[in-house]
Amino acid sequence: MVEEKFEPLIVAFCCNWCAYAGADLAGTSRFEYPTNIRIIRVMCTGRMDPTFVLEALRAGADGVLIAGCHPGDCHYQKGNYIMEKRFDYLKKAVKSIGIEPERVKLEWVSASEGAKFAALVREMTQQIKQLGPSPFRLIHNPK
Amino acid sequence: MSEREILIRKTNAAIDAYKSQRLRWVTGRSQVKVEIDEERYRQVVDSIMQDEIERHMIIGAIKEKGPLTVEELSQLTGLRPSRIMQHIIALRRNGIISEAGEKNRQYLYQLV
Repeated sequence: MVEEKFEPLIVAFCCNWCAYAGADLAGTSRFEYPTNIRIIRVMCTGRMDPTFVLEALRAGADGVLIAGCHPGDCHYQKGNYIMEKRFDYLKKAVKSIGIEPERVKLEWVSASEGAKFAALVREMTQQIKQLGPSPFRLIHNPK
Repeated sequence: MSEREILIRKTNAAIDAYKSQRLRWVTGRSQVKVEIDEERYRQVVDSIMQDEIERHMIIGAIKEKGPLTVEELSQLTGLRPSRIMQHIIALRRNGIISEAGEKNRQYLYQLV
């Protein structure tokens, strides 16, 4: 019963040039996707500090999605490669503090992939629903 | 110490650890310019990350509760006393903590 009511909160950090434009295209093309996502625009995934993800989880987010340009397409040449490298360690840090690493995801979405963005949000929402509420959400909101 | 409190401590420590120069330097590298293979480098970064998170748990506990003994730190962080002692040695060497008298014949440690 509790699982049915649970609506996950996913924070998505989207790069300005690809993923954010992809999300925009998903909206203008009327692709339906769950409203569980809260998008934050960053100029590049390489600008993402790993603490942003940890802070989002600490604040009660059930999942964090980082979406950037496909490898080789970065507007700033190598920002997405930098993020990819950091992401490995970030996942390990998330696991070592006791949160399921599946709650954090890194994906590549181009400006023309509105349908992919919508599918990604649907898939991640489903995945997080299966995982259940994050331990921090239970701390902030014990009900 | 409840699981919930340990989770909060660990997360705060991980955020502080990621703000520290030592962890930023090793995880921020896009290329490794030293004579070391990728796998070994990952192992080194993993162990630095673990150390930094644990050390920031210790620093966070002392910041919150004032001077503490190894035993008290162990209870607050869930780490083994021997592990705490290893970190205390490193933190003392780096001038981050110092001794602050004794309690029940055990040294108390405070932030410098």
